[in-house]
Amino acid sequence: MTPTDSAAVELTGLSKSFPSRAGAVRAVKGIDLTIRRGEIVAFLGPNGAGKTTTLDLVLGLTSPTSGDVRVLGRSPREAVRAGQVSAVLQTGGLLRDLSVRETVQMIASTYAVHAPVDDVVRRAGLTPIEKRRVSKCSGGEQQRLRFALALLPDPDLLILDEPTAGMDVQSRRAFWDAMKVEADAGRTVLFATHYLEEADAFAGRIVLVADGEIVADGPTDEIRARALGRRVSARVPSERLPDAVAHLRVMAIVHDVAVEQNRLTVESSDSDAVARELLTSWGAHDLEITSGSLESAFIALTRSDTEGAVA
Amino acid sequence: MTTATTKPSSTLETPARKPRVTGLGEPTERGKRTAYLRLELKRVTRDLVTMFFVVALPAFMYLLFGASAGWSQQSAGNGNVALYVMISMAAYGAVTATVGVGGTAAVERMQGWGRQLGLTPLGDGTFVAIKATVALLIAILPILVVYVLGAFTGAKGSLMAWAGSAAILVAGAVMFALYGLIFGMAFRSESSVSAASGSLVILGFLGNIFFPLSGFLLDLARFTPLYGYVSLARYPLTGGDVVDTAGNLTHQPLWMPVTNVVVWTVIFAVLATWLVQRSRGRQ
Repeated sequence: MTPTDSAAVELTGLSKSFPSRAGAVRAVKGIDLTIRRGEIVAFLGPNGAGKTTTLDLVLGLTSPTSGDVRVLGRSPREAVRAGQVSAVLQTGGLLRDLSVRETVQMIASTYAVHAPVDDVVRRAGLTPIEKRRVSKCSGGEQQRLRFALALLPDPDLLILDEPTAGMDVQSRRAFWDAMKVEADAGRTVLFATHYLEEADAFAGRIVLVADGEIVADGPTDEIRARALGRRVSARVPSERLPDAVAHLRVMAIVHDVAVEQNRLTVESSDSDAVARELLTSWGAHDLEITSGSLESAFIALTRSDTEGAVA
Repeated sequence: MTTATTKPSSTLETPARKPRVTGLGEPTERGKRTAYLRLELKRVTRDLVTMFFVVALPAFMYLLFGASAGWSQQSAGNGNVALYVMISMAAYGAVTATVGVGGTAAVERMQGWGRQLGLTPLGDGTFVAIKATVALLIAILPILVVYVLGAFTGAKGSLMAWAGSAAILVAGAVMFALYGLIFGMAFRSESSVSAASGSLVILGFLGNIFFPLSGFLLDLARFTPLYGYVSLARYPLTGGDVVDTAGNLTHQPLWMPVTNVVVWTVIFAVLATWLVQRSRGRQ
């Protein structure tokens, strides 16, 4: 990466701990991540995975315990001040006694130059309710208002933290439609979500986080196959186990093979083929197939990670 | 980034933006900080409950205890008792205004508006300056209303008593924005602002604002924050004389209210700074 084409986001060895009564809580544990300009990246993970903390660090709302954050080649605060990055944050954070339009005007006044208020209100679909008090707006409407605020500086990088939390299906779809227009205009988008479907529908790349660490990072198709793949587990006679593992590992449909005593666990996008192989060629018995929900993918990915570290 | 050049960082540090489909949010309007201030003033003034306590209540109390009281035309130094009561009630309105502004500033920052502002170029210093200006302008309202009422209902005094007291009231009220801020930061909810405003009634009594104290209560009053403020504001009128419950005059040197105001300002400032730092540490 040349200096003239700095990455949209560059995180190196990023860690963040919070003091608590029971000692420091490590919310982010050494994240390295580079997001190129123009990418649409989903930060996918369960609640408490450290998504919000990481995004706060990218936005300069909090500073890292160790490691470094560069946003478009600058420090986060500089990028924010230049209007190059903006964000839709999670619930909270609006003044309830202002109207929709007044809120946009108020935030607009903090920028040296900004997109026209009318324009931003229209793009977020708020024109019909622009005189409504924020306290009278639904959760989805408030979220669209936060989106309007994020559009004001005409940002290069747009960050969304669980933008559709609390929305019904219809407003969720409307939100992503509006978002799509912005992304097509060439903005880099980084969004946190715990809905796989959302990441799948909108992102080109998924970064899977759990327990403050990146557990998987790759094109959406790949991660989806992994997350939604099935898991085949079976007992294989111990003398044949090493050969079986070696054989399975080179199969294209197999993502991961784990061994616990003489029980094999195989993550695969084609569980039928793996089961047939195990039963016919390797004398497997006690075979089980479980479908991988996103939750189980998280669990599998995090567990294999920590076990790897111990072993 | 390592740049040894003195050139503005335009070419190297900020490469040209990625080509975009045109027509989507080109920044064409200029942000005006005055718009922020104007909207803040609009927020406060359309909050009718706040406006009642800030403007209507002091005005009403002045009419009751000042203008229509039997002793209103008696002398109180460089003016009459009506003027004395007028200054007191304007003081109460002014501090109610600034405590409210300070308190809501703290609460709204902690309830997430601070995060929203953290996504904008608005610095902490500018935010404080805007809020202080709002506090000042709102504090002027009750002073203006009560003084105009006073002028029409028999409050009399030298020009110095009028202008001097008004100036001290405005300037001194700002320190009570810190008092509101402390409540807001410490208790983190909207009700904390009401608690702060409510506590002003007690401090008002203890501060010798609503009716003259004497004896032990007066001795105690000298150490409370509103006492210094209102005594200082009355100084241009009374020249330092204090009336007690029995109508006796005692003289109080200028250094007493001045010390009171200075000490309380320092206490408020230290507490507020400590609370702000504590909330930063939790982020």
